[in-house]
Amino acid sequence: MMKKCLAITAVGFQQMFADPMYLIFTLALPLLLTWAMSFLPREAGVYEMALLGVLVMFVALNLLTSAGSILEEKQQGTWQRLRSSATPYRAIMAGYLLRFSLVAAVQALLLLLSGKLLFGAPWNQGYGELAVVLAVYIFAMTGLGLFLAGLFKTQGQVQAAATGIVLVGSMLGDIFFPMENPSTAIKFITAISPQSWAAHALKDILLQGAALASLVKPLLWMGGLGLLLLTAGLLRLKTEM
Amino acid sequence: MILEVKQLEKSFGARRAVAGINLLLNEGEVLGLLGPNGAGKTTTLAMIGGLLQPEAGSITIGGWDLQRHPLQAKALLGIVPQEPALYPQLSAAANLRFWGTMQGLQRSELNKAVAEALAVVGLTERARERVVNYSGGMKRRLNIAAGILHRPKLLIMDEPTVGVDPQSRNHIHETVKRLQCAGTAIIYTSHYVEEVEELCGRVLIMDAGKVVAAGTVAELLRAAGHAQELVIKVNRPHQAVLSRLTAIPGVREAVMVGQAFKLLTLKAEQVLPLAYEYLLSQGLQVSAIEIHKPNLESLFLKLTGKSLRDQ
Repeated sequence: MMKKCLAITAVGFQQMFADPMYLIFTLALPLLLTWAMSFLPREAGVYEMALLGVLVMFVALNLLTSAGSILEEKQQGTWQRLRSSATPYRAIMAGYLLRFSLVAAVQALLLLLSGKLLFGAPWNQGYGELAVVLAVYIFAMTGLGLFLAGLFKTQGQVQAAATGIVLVGSMLGDIFFPMENPSTAIKFITAISPQSWAAHALKDILLQGAALASLVKPLLWMGGLGLLLLTAGLLRLKTEM
Repeated sequence: MILEVKQLEKSFGARRAVAGINLLLNEGEVLGLLGPNGAGKTTTLAMIGGLLQPEAGSITIGGWDLQRHPLQAKALLGIVPQEPALYPQLSAAANLRFWGTMQGLQRSELNKAVAEALAVVGLTERARERVVNYSGGMKRRLNIAAGILHRPKLLIMDEPTVGVDPQSRNHIHETVKRLQCAGTAIIYTSHYVEEVEELCGRVLIMDAGKVVAAGTVAELLRAAGHAQELVIKVNRPHQAVLSRLTAIPGVREAVMVGQAFKLLTLKAEQVLPLAYEYLLSQGLQVSAIEIHKPNLESLFLKLTGKSLRDQ
């Protein structure tokens, strides 16, 4: 089963990396934005928060649209051929999830390293905590991606929904623009947006050395949401042709 | 017996897509599955392929119940979907290696199986080329290779020749015959009546979720009692001649359509000389004669009220 799972992951990588637009969207564009953010004033944590905002936004976009690629596979028939093969559903999904998570982890690592090494971001502590928060965030967004893939029929629909969710969650989630006296709606978006929880948790770790014990709330929220959405998405995709 | 389908049922909301299908298929048998759109063919094939759960009934492949032992049953199954289900950015060989792995082929047997499958569909020379650069016919042949790679006992081929050039079509026909000789049981759907008649030992016609006819082509045509249609085009057809043509022994019915008389008969060879002689004796010039033998197309039209090619 492991061999089949890894083969699915490998084929996914080969397909992804053969598409130059994917590489531009996943790596070049967030790097460009990370560089642009380095011109922001370096006071009151504005620059650091913007960098982390770029990270959580692009990781979310990447994961949601990658999960939508399952629908592209449905359209090209490879999903049906996989489901008709002698490969268990859990191996198929493990292969997809491994690919999504690895790409997101590499993307996040690259953005953090480029921020630190190229643009002088002051990340000097809490690497273990950082890894935990990123892993839980990636899990939550993968769950949301699979949920959308189960909900919609085409990758275009998933991309539209993903863009909306990510932009609203990032722009109105108290990440790029600190909110003074936010409305009830904005407060609600901030309270439910995994991007907002992740960006603030990462900031607390990297700038203030927050320990995991103080991050239970964001971890529980992102983990619980991810588990719920992942389960719903997996069940839906299993029964849909 | 390689495939046994019993009382298969499936509904989508209020619509009953498959209503109690039974099906038996032996090794080396090719079954033509025909039906208009919405007949339940795709749903039936999706259930046999393990993509949809039936609401009632059972599917057994090679003795394995598909619901209770899906992996064992699916290991005996090959699928050739209507549209090529391949990864376009990978080479043909990489695609086949991937699908072979998914079917459980071990590394030691994988390379040999890939080479054999490529040879069967005539793509050995193009094995390293990316699929995105293949022609439509080549993609369909590779699609077949991906379905037969693991030497399945049962192969489902869903309209494998749609939109392919004559050369690729012939190649696909030859492949089907070779697989049949090797003992593979095949379910073959097509809108081309000629290839169903050529390839399929038995035919099953579905409509509204049910089997409306089943048997060999000869049995189906005999049971339907179809008459041949004799079409004689003349320069000046008229009603007086038509009534005399109707009186020729062996003619069941005669009609005038445009410049032609159409005679329905079970004995076209006997009726034709008599009709021809009579028309000449009336001073008419015969410009064309056609005999339309009964075929699956006309039977399908009769049973379903729809044309096979209009699907």
